[in-house]
Amino acid sequence: MTIAAGNVLPPFRVECVSSEAMKAWAGFLRDPNPIHLDPRAVKSKGLGDRVINQGPANLAYVINMLQRAFPAAVIRTIDIRYVDNVFGGEAVEASGKVTEVIESAGEINVTCEVWLRAEARGAVISGTAMLSVPAGA
Amino acid sequence: MTSSPPRSPPQVAGISLSGRTPYVISRQENLELCESTGVAPQGDHRAHPIYFFIATQIGMGMTVAELCAVCEFNVDDGPMIVSSTVGFSQPLMVEQAYRVTGEIVNLTRKLSRKIGVMDMLEYRLNLSRPDGTPVLVTTSVWVLPRGNST
Repeated sequence: MTIAAGNVLPPFRVECVSSEAMKAWAGFLRDPNPIHLDPRAVKSKGLGDRVINQGPANLAYVINMLQRAFPAAVIRTIDIRYVDNVFGGEAVEASGKVTEVIESAGEINVTCEVWLRAEARGAVISGTAMLSVPAGA
Repeated sequence: MTSSPPRSPPQVAGISLSGRTPYVISRQENLELCESTGVAPQGDHRAHPIYFFIATQIGMGMTVAELCAVCEFNVDDGPMIVSSTVGFSQPLMVEQAYRVTGEIVNLTRKLSRKIGVMDMLEYRLNLSRPDGTPVLVTTSVWVLPRGNST
């Protein structure tokens, strides 16, 4: 694969964000915040009527997209903003675009604009990531 | 859009967030986490990179609730994470012990048209191997919404 500025990265799609996965993430994060577990808690805070996915889980989808786009790469930096919530049952899609490619010392440093978008609502995560790909990979 | 803050927040910059107990990414949990996001784990002992967030959050010296309390904020009032940055020196590995050091960088009060008075909490955490080899540095920013009660 030739890596060049302007390349759009293949999307990583989650068809239905699972409330069961949110329960698992509550354990991974040791975070019992009820907005991830109980729709009534979300409603009582005026945030909607469906459970809200954990922000790091949303970021994990973006990382999955990067790792599929660059299987031989290591991630060097990630810098993102959580701009909106993702709700249970929603479809989301992570993608990105290469903005800079620099070759040096046997590796290629690739900077990408990245995002996660909720279907019909728009961006929920936006930011940048930089990865190092071994030259020739 | 924000404007001048109404008064100063608690002075918490510099408070240590260094953990006391090493954090280990278990192979089984990494498998479950990867599957929960729709991928298989790497076959070479590398953990999912999102463990930068999980390992530092759990391995730091306070729970999120305790961190909020230091900022005179009740965790039940709904802290919201707004940004994460991380720089990796090396990949995260399963079954490897890591230790966390870090501190609160600042707590800044602002007035938001949308949510009223809020504090922006920024803290930085470092993950390293027990021998001190650095693995990553991450900075998180949270909003602590205080409504109009302050």
